[in-house]
Amino acid sequence: MRITLILLAVFIILISPFFGQIELSLKNIIDASKMDYQIFWDIRLPRTLLAFFVGAILALSGLVFQTIFRNPMSTPFTLGVASGATLFTAIGIVLGFTAYISLFAFIGAMITVIVLFLIVSRFETVQTSSLLLIGIALSFFYSASLMILFFISDLQESYEIVRFTMGSLDIVGFENIYLISIAAIFILTLVKRFQYNIKLLLTSHELAYLKGIDVKRTNYILLLGISIVVGICVSITGPIGFVGLIVPHIIKTIMQKSADQLIYPIFFYGGVFLVFCDLIARNLGTVSDIPIGVVTSFLGAPFFIYLILKRKKSL
Amino acid sequence: MLKINNFTNYILKDISFSLNNKNLIILGSNGAGKTTLSKVLCGIIDNDSVTINNINPSKVYGDKKTKLINYIPAKLDIFDDYMSVKEFLELNKLYSNLKIDDVLDMLEISYLKNKSCKTLSSGESQLLLYASAVLHNAMYTILDEPTSNLDPKKVKMIYGNLQNKDILQNKIIISHNLNLSFKLGYDILYLENGKIIFDGTSKQFFETSNLYKFFGSSVKKVDDNILVDL
Repeated sequence: MRITLILLAVFIILISPFFGQIELSLKNIIDASKMDYQIFWDIRLPRTLLAFFVGAILALSGLVFQTIFRNPMSTPFTLGVASGATLFTAIGIVLGFTAYISLFAFIGAMITVIVLFLIVSRFETVQTSSLLLIGIALSFFYSASLMILFFISDLQESYEIVRFTMGSLDIVGFENIYLISIAAIFILTLVKRFQYNIKLLLTSHELAYLKGIDVKRTNYILLLGISIVVGICVSITGPIGFVGLIVPHIIKTIMQKSADQLIYPIFFYGGVFLVFCDLIARNLGTVSDIPIGVVTSFLGAPFFIYLILKRKKSL
Repeated sequence: MLKINNFTNYILKDISFSLNNKNLIILGSNGAGKTTLSKVLCGIIDNDSVTINNINPSKVYGDKKTKLINYIPAKLDIFDDYMSVKEFLELNKLYSNLKIDDVLDMLEISYLKNKSCKTLSSGESQLLLYASAVLHNAMYTILDEPTSNLDPKKVKMIYGNLQNKDILQNKIIISHNLNLSFKLGYDILYLENGKIIFDGTSKQFFETSNLYKFFGSSVKKVDDNILVDL
């Protein structure tokens, strides 16, 4: 089962760059004079890599958020971090700082995390359901702010913002790939380094504290790291929801191990999941590509519900 | 030496006592502040009042803290769905010379080893928590109602285990089981509305006049056992 899954995953990644509106042949992609060469190296390969790293980051972020906030529904998206990044990116677009939108996205993510933290520190204990409600309230606040931005921006800016909020893996060249791959490796290394702390947090915050962990410091560092990388992701691709929510759950249900043992699988299959969704989005034969977020939700939601029902039976 | 000096918060009122390499039992009615006091002692509730060998456990991390004190809650709280009993105990193996398998054997729960902690019954969870206390083996271990979900045989087993001086160092036990408290013979601290209203030896506490003072007619001493008179 496990080996089949890995082989399937590798197969998906390998074939992904070859399919799309124009089909490529293996022979032509090493011939620099051919059109296929440019499509493969400048568009398809960067796109596949982008999908992989963004999926991996979002899935791993979901795992960390679920662990820290002790709630299976917590992700950078459900708690408003991604909405914050989206809003600030839109502000960046309206203010004309198109070159610095990564910075704006990061600031948006950070502000949200700080707000969440300020609220959490006012609780005597970690009240995850209240936190989730606050995350939802923040998301509504941000989308209302985004609406205001639409009204004060001109047509061109509005269009850019709309396209951005739909989420897209359109990319040309490798410039952003370097950034996103460094971000992915950074967050993977960080989470791996905190594996023992994460394992303790998977029991309870009290237990982690009693086993000598500085729980607050651990949470701060992990959330700060996640905000940085999610900010980077959102600035490049726009918000892509649902990956961070479902991939950790799917992998946990399939592998049936405690979450700290699943850091590599969640990272890897998160990447594969988004590559797969992107492959579908590009090959449905529509006039233009379907937004990636549509595909992740369309495929992910039914499978997710199926798994939850199945798990209820086995427990 | 464990000391707490004049601690007051919204539940506890001016708590002071000290414990020098001894065991202790904390008694008191529901809501009297026993669990809150435990959380203060182990540092989960931040404070400036507690010291153990002149170190405040709420101000240190790592083995500086874990060596000093451990708190075992009344209920096992685990977020992860798939963490196994073995994995959980590995996180707790700190200062005991005993192996995980030995402790599981001792408590007759070896059959749980590879089960997920989330699937255990409340009694099994409680034994697992006790096992974790044994493996951690801090200088002071606070056990919050360690027998509340156990069947009579298991209560007797834990009673026997608590009497073994080689297994846990100093124990602070919160309990509503008066007979267990009586038989263990540790010093008694009795809390009411957040205040200490008795701090003395087991012998003094379990005098008939005191029993009537604290528990009214609901408790009786029969043949050297303390019973709840229903």
